[in-house]
Amino acid sequence: MSGGFALFLFTLAAAFEWGEFMGWVNVPLIFVSLGIVGVGLLVWWRQDWSYGVDGKESMHLWEPKSTGTPFQNIDIRKVALWVFLMSEMMVFTSLFSTYMRYRLGIPNCKTVFNSGDWVEGTAVNCFEPASHLIASSWFHLAPGAINTFALIISSFTIVQALRYAKMKDIDENVRRKKVTRYLGTTWFLAVLFLTLKMIEWFLGFPLPEFMHEFNHGDSTIKSLYAEGYLINADHYQHHYYDTHYLESHGGMDQDTALYAMMQEGTHPGGHMMANIQVSATTFYVTTGTHGAHVFGGIVGLTYMTLKAARGGYTPDNAVSIEYFGLYWHFVDLVWVLVFPFFYLY
Amino acid sequence: MAGRRPKIVVLALVAIAAMLAVPSAQSLPGGISGVQQSGCNCHGAVPSDSVVASIQGLPDSYNYSESYELTVSFQGGPSQEGNSNQGGFHLWASDGSLSVNDATAQLYNENEAGHTEAGNDQTSWTLTWTAPTTDKNVEFVLHVNSVNGNEDGAGGGSSGDMWSKVAVSLSGPIEVLEAADPFVVLGVLIIVSATLLAITLAYVFYRKDPDAFDWDNFAPWLADWLTSTDHKKIGTLYFVAGLFFLGVGGIMAMIIRIQLAVPGNDFLTQEQYNQFFTLHGTTMIFLAAMPMINGFANWMIPLQLGAKDLALPRINAMSFWLQPFAALLIFTGVFSGHGADTGWTGYAPYVVSEGAHHGTTMWAAGQILLVASSTLTGINFLTTMAVMRAPGMGWMQMPLFSWSILVANVMLFLSIPAFGVGLIQVYLDRVVGTAFYDIAAGGDPLLWSHLFWYFGHPEVYVVVVPSFGIISEVIATSSRRSVFGYRSMVYAMAGIGIVAFIVYGHHMFTSGMSPTLRFVTMLTTMLVAVPTGIKVFNWLMTMHGGSLVYRTHTLWALGFLVTFTLGGISGMFFPSIAMDTHLHESYFVVAHFHYVLVGGTVFGFFAGIYYWWPKATGKMLSEKLGVLHFLTAFISYNALFWPMHRLGVWGMTRRHHTYFVTTEEALGSLPMEAAGWNMFITVSGFLFFFSNFILVFNMISSSIRGENAPDDPWGGWSFEWMTSSPPPAHTLYKLDDGTWGIPTLKDANEHIANEPGIIGRWFQRLLVSDEDTGEVAH
Repeated sequence: MSGGFALFLFTLAAAFEWGEFMGWVNVPLIFVSLGIVGVGLLVWWRQDWSYGVDGKESMHLWEPKSTGTPFQNIDIRKVALWVFLMSEMMVFTSLFSTYMRYRLGIPNCKTVFNSGDWVEGTAVNCFEPASHLIASSWFHLAPGAINTFALIISSFTIVQALRYAKMKDIDENVRRKKVTRYLGTTWFLAVLFLTLKMIEWFLGFPLPEFMHEFNHGDSTIKSLYAEGYLINADHYQHHYYDTHYLESHGGMDQDTALYAMMQEGTHPGGHMMANIQVSATTFYVTTGTHGAHVFGGIVGLTYMTLKAARGGYTPDNAVSIEYFGLYWHFVDLVWVLVFPFFYLY
Repeated sequence: MAGRRPKIVVLALVAIAAMLAVPSAQSLPGGISGVQQSGCNCHGAVPSDSVVASIQGLPDSYNYSESYELTVSFQGGPSQEGNSNQGGFHLWASDGSLSVNDATAQLYNENEAGHTEAGNDQTSWTLTWTAPTTDKNVEFVLHVNSVNGNEDGAGGGSSGDMWSKVAVSLSGPIEVLEAADPFVVLGVLIIVSATLLAITLAYVFYRKDPDAFDWDNFAPWLADWLTSTDHKKIGTLYFVAGLFFLGVGGIMAMIIRIQLAVPGNDFLTQEQYNQFFTLHGTTMIFLAAMPMINGFANWMIPLQLGAKDLALPRINAMSFWLQPFAALLIFTGVFSGHGADTGWTGYAPYVVSEGAHHGTTMWAAGQILLVASSTLTGINFLTTMAVMRAPGMGWMQMPLFSWSILVANVMLFLSIPAFGVGLIQVYLDRVVGTAFYDIAAGGDPLLWSHLFWYFGHPEVYVVVVPSFGIISEVIATSSRRSVFGYRSMVYAMAGIGIVAFIVYGHHMFTSGMSPTLRFVTMLTTMLVAVPTGIKVFNWLMTMHGGSLVYRTHTLWALGFLVTFTLGGISGMFFPSIAMDTHLHESYFVVAHFHYVLVGGTVFGFFAGIYYWWPKATGKMLSEKLGVLHFLTAFISYNALFWPMHRLGVWGMTRRHHTYFVTTEEALGSLPMEAAGWNMFITVSGFLFFFSNFILVFNMISSSIRGENAPDDPWGGWSFEWMTSSPPPAHTLYKLDDGTWGIPTLKDANEHIANEPGIIGRWFQRLLVSDEDTGEVAH
């Protein structure tokens, strides 16, 4: 047992290593590293695979309990998971601190634009929150909004899976089906989350004909990538910051210093160019870190769903679902914070 | 399972070998050697003796940056007056830069020059060579063609031509030894120590059972160590790794000291020096001190709590195995000569700039792994201490060493994610080009300082607080009484843990942070002295009321008290903003943190080694050697670091690869005595370095022919002394009634406070409900 486990630990360490080390330089090595992680996970899972199935090994089901106060008789693994979530909290706190530092410390692009403190052709440093693009229309917001509900619903389905797994007085077959379905739904929602994220970041999506009029006549919703909202965007331009576009679309705010200057003739107007690398960086890395947590969840869920499909979860070992659920709720909770900070506000 | 083990070992070894080979293979500078052999389109197959090439105008030894006019020429061969073409040349200089004087020669790059078409009809050409700015052995290689000028023939005009080659070597103002490349020195020393370690391992295995000394027995034994989840084995692994890297860090420190022994020394170049002090700091903090703490904690925490193992043994194995790989990553740069050169603080924006070596990326990656490792360790120990205390053992009945590990891990655990995020930001900045610390895009380098020091300051307490715990155990046992003021000790440690988070601004006084914040951190930093002072006085009171037994570990504990207090007092200079501005980045700082990190942490570790070695191995260490180790190390240690205060006040700056003193001929930044003191420091440094080999020798000789240790050699009271020496894999304790089992609190130990105080009672009411207390004593 321990040999296999340590092999897992060891290979996982090795794999992280390779991933970090070679990453981006040597593509084959990335696959090697992922392969090692995969092998490690498989070794781990193989040991867990028949754990609790058909009551065969239920003799060995052993959940260590706490002996010390204040957690007397609470599962040790549960305490450990809460402690782990504490550090996860610090990770996201640090990311949010970074975000707040830059959001509050760098002048907003809209403020800069309206102040007229720029000339066409020279990039200015300013903060362009992604929410400015995303919250500009319901269509842009749709993927994020659907994602929010997907995660909230998935939090519900994982609890349902736990509930059925814990039910003692139901038929084994019914339990197996219910648990599998609820875990499968959770898996599906998590995959949906990442898919929509890819659409929002890279792919964009076309709109049906009758909706074009609600989208300024455009036939597609552009992805953030297509909008030029990129980590290397040091000369980002957007029609929001183009006086010609705004004038022709009647969107020019007449109550600004820029407008006054243009009226006086002291500012020629034009298309402001911005260096928004910092804004894009904080957006992609923070939401990306959250996405990585979702991806980790998907990997776990894949295994759990497969195990559930062969009746692997019984009231004896339903705690595994509970622990995963704790993590999953945390991921959900983080999204509930990320969404308003990065998508709405 | 047993059949798989050799495969596991092979897999592991292949992984390690590949990791070692690939980075160095990739980063070898390519193409230089080719130039010398085939750099010119030499006419003809073999060099001809009849052609004599020569370089004129080179001095015997060059002066820095001076330009020399060189004449390259040849005589003999088929070349003669009247030929349409007479000859050509190719000159390669290993260092410095070449430039051309006229149209007869051309430059390929600053190391290579050749003739042009206009220079084809000559047998001598002139060039200018500018000497390098540092001291190096410069090689010149000149190839010449002696040409007969014919246009036809199989060789396309080169038939009948002859060529020759000459190599000249030139040294700088000071003759340097060719092979004294510090990286080579370091690499060789690391390899030698690793080999010695491997031989020691093989020997240990041989001693176990001389008859079974073959691969079939060795492979399972090795695989057992590599894949073990037993807290004792992992603790030992941590410990061995920590000691190994303590040695590596020490070697680097010695190389740094060689460089600083005399003013204006050139043993290390500026570049190399930057990498050495970066890796010295990183190695000592993350690869030596932290693993040794984890080694002690792994061994003793379950024993002291009366638990069988840690809460999460597998996670424990994983946190250990992340470390060797992290170490490999961090050292990757060294093997290729482009190690991280950012200092262990890795300040932005330099850390993300293109000027920083490639190794910096790997350094960040390795640190990320260490962060992961520390996080897992933190989860493990916090959980263990929260849930696995022996029945009846409350928080306030934990031994002080356990408390210190608890406090240290809370600090580490709450602070290290910030560092991890900062590192990931740096890593992404360097790898995918995000803009967290890109000044041009509005990034804020101070953000890195905040994230780093938010972690970095708790981190220095993380490494010293476990030493407090060890010292508390040692002093209490040696004084043969319970520690004075147990409860105040705990509160003091917890206080240090809390204050640690609000003082980090004092690292950034000169960074231009807000004056209000500076003032606040000045006050909070001064607060640190209060809990630390409480601890020191408690230790003194413990000895005052007890009757002290002078064992080696007692001596180390006393040494700790002296040096740590001195280090603490020198630390009290820094909260004062005015003093700090003066002393910032000077050797005063170096002296201070070495006094607390070596005099505090490492002395604590030594005390711990002498104290717990019999428990862990079942063998006694030699007291004579121990005392000898203490005396030599303590004296040379103080001789090593005490004069640094003086140098710092004189204004010797840290992180500079050399310094200059005022002499009769030249004006330097330091008074003349500084040179003597630096030499003194270097000599003391070597004494300190070698004195620690007494400990290594002591350990080895003890494992081979040490006398067997009793269960409780020092008369300690806590749980770890109730089990056998060495303890079995799943610890059992000898109970009062003579049976073996898991102890409850009543079986232990008199030096813990049994009556909770006011706050303790409040806590108990808060945390333990009435029905729980009924179950306390199973």
